[in-house]
Amino acid sequence: MRTTVTAATLALLLAGCSGGGLSAELVTPVDIELTWTADPAAADGGQVVEFATEPAGPWTILEFLPAGRETYRHPDLMPDTTFHYRVRPLVGAASDPVQVHLDAARSDVRLDDSNLSWAEPRTVTGPPPGPAGGPPTSLTATVKSRSAVLFTWADNAAGEAGQLIEVRTADSPTWTVAMALDPDVNSVGLMASAAERQAWFRVRAFTYGTSSAVARRTTGH
Amino acid sequence: MRRSVPLVAALVVALVLASAGPARAVVETGPWTSYSPSFDVQQRGCGTVDGLTFRLTCSTASGDQRAERRYATYSSGVRQFEGYFRITSMPGTRISLKQTFGPDGPFFMLAVERGGRLYAVHGGSTLATGATVGTTVRVNTVHNTGNGAHRTYINGSNQHSQTGGAGGYYDKFGAYRTSSGAGPATVVWSGVQFWRK
Repeated sequence: MRTTVTAATLALLLAGCSGGGLSAELVTPVDIELTWTADPAAADGGQVVEFATEPAGPWTILEFLPAGRETYRHPDLMPDTTFHYRVRPLVGAASDPVQVHLDAARSDVRLDDSNLSWAEPRTVTGPPPGPAGGPPTSLTATVKSRSAVLFTWADNAAGEAGQLIEVRTADSPTWTVAMALDPDVNSVGLMASAAERQAWFRVRAFTYGTSSAVARRTTGH
Repeated sequence: MRRSVPLVAALVVALVLASAGPARAVVETGPWTSYSPSFDVQQRGCGTVDGLTFRLTCSTASGDQRAERRYATYSSGVRQFEGYFRITSMPGTRISLKQTFGPDGPFFMLAVERGGRLYAVHGGSTLATGATVGTTVRVNTVHNTGNGAHRTYINGSNQHSQTGGAGGYYDKFGAYRTSSGAGPATVVWSGVQFWRK
């Protein structure tokens, strides 16, 4: 039996127009608008939108996005260039949050930030582990100096893609990514910005969920 | 009249075209020719270079603290740089990551502030945010020595444009303490390529 497809269908197949809910539209010759259907797997950890200018990558994260976000605008792009996009959910539960309160007037902390070697991301002998495969536990924030905090935790995950230090400042209801760390790191220092001096922090070990299909567009000039 | 093609043929064509692709796609209009300029490694003060890992190990807020590659000077053609940087640690702030030098000195300097703000050192304008510790950022610069146009793309978006004069120019990248900054900082670069046309 012979089956045929229309030329229009073939064109859509070849254009990589949309699939898995992600579509890319050239709204100006050098601006691309992405839309997709949020993956329920992103409910806990959020999602990342990524781009590449070659089909096989390398892929670069454009932004860490909250779970419910379903649009992204990529503006002022390189002309005459094909952009490839994908959206991936971040899967993994976060630790319980800890509150950080940095007061410059505190007399019990050093004012000197000259020795910051402890702030490097490291894997250290830390607190007792929690349930294997579960979220990080025993997150502790130790004020080290006027503006510096050392975070340590028990990393209970295995095979994670990475870990995120997330922050919720006093003036915002949402969590954002403060740092992205390699797998197995369980100690890192943070030099707090003005907004982070009064904030909540948590750590999340994550893996990537199923990627959307890749959508691509070529910019004009 | 609608045109139809056999399904099998359509799928074969789709598979072939999906797997072909350019061996190495370059941004902006080509044709571009890849090349590998020579470079010198510069380590001053507390700056150390290990391959493509550039470290400022001190928090000294003065003096020449530098860990960089300085590439060969060019004066003709259109030159494109591409590289990816990842700040793996940055208790410091206001560290220059990528520079283009011209005949009159620094022509364009891209720096990062603690918290992930990327800015142009000359003028201080914000070029992008999100260069937080651990995230990878892609940088492309295109410099047309003919008309002097220099464009900087951060993660694919044109974030800075300026025009320079004739003369010799060169690229640098790594980690360098700006006059208002201080380490420590560790920056890992990857995927560094150069093209010309």
